[in-house]
Amino acid sequence: MEELIEQLKQQIIEALNFEDMTPADIDAQAPLFGEGLGLDSIDALELIMLLDREYGIKLADPKSGKEVFRSVRSMAEYIEKNRTK
Amino acid sequence: MRITHEIEITPTAVILDGQTLTQTETGEKMLIGLYRQHANDYPKFFKMDTLCRLGFIATELLLQAEGAERFVPTEDRAVILANRNASIKNDKDYLKTISEQDYYPSPALFVYTLPNIVTGEIAIRNKYMGETAFYILDTPDQLMPIVETTLNTPYSTLNSAIAGWCDCSDANTFYAKIQIIWKN
Repeated sequence: MEELIEQLKQQIIEALNFEDMTPADIDAQAPLFGEGLGLDSIDALELIMLLDREYGIKLADPKSGKEVFRSVRSMAEYIEKNRTK
Repeated sequence: MRITHEIEITPTAVILDGQTLTQTETGEKMLIGLYRQHANDYPKFFKMDTLCRLGFIATELLLQAEGAERFVPTEDRAVILANRNASIKNDKDYLKTISEQDYYPSPALFVYTLPNIVTGEIAIRNKYMGETAFYILDTPDQLMPIVETTLNTPYSTLNSAIAGWCDCSDANTFYAKIQIIWKN
């Protein structure tokens, strides 16, 4: 799980163009939206594309997004259970 | 009309009010270097496409040269830009994400597939609530009559405009010549 979290942090940095950030700057428990990383709705769409592209996960239920994208750790937990690649 | 400040940016040079600012990088790396050196307080810059980065950093340097109080909401300044290549550089980048071989459309690229986003980015940054417009023209000289008309529209609240040419066809091919122009 820790390895997946580190990989996911790196993928988020690349997908969202956080040029000044390293994986160590991201708290895996911190909220992704609002406070924490302060992501916006376009970033949310990029994360959905990231799940599809990198892990073969299609988020069919919009309601599940709130829980999946709570933090990097919650994303990693969801990926571990649902990944197809 | 009265021009008080002017900036010109090419992939290898920056000239602000007639003075050349020494650069160590070229192309888009130069724009990023300028951001780090002269702004560095607006992380959204890194999400912008090259056209927006060009317009953003040109405006930052212009407004710093002007030296007036910034980030105060105002309706008396317009942002009127033009170019010939619209958002072609970003359009091509987006097109790569929807190719048949690798179909993962990028929302972050999609939002920049319109050239007028650059005027919006400048207005949001500087809290300009007045006119913004982006024109696709053949040559830069066609813009000035538009700026003059906009500033002198009878019912207008405008006193000045950030106006000029802001064109980008790829990460290493761009040109901006932007001025602060006053009605009187």
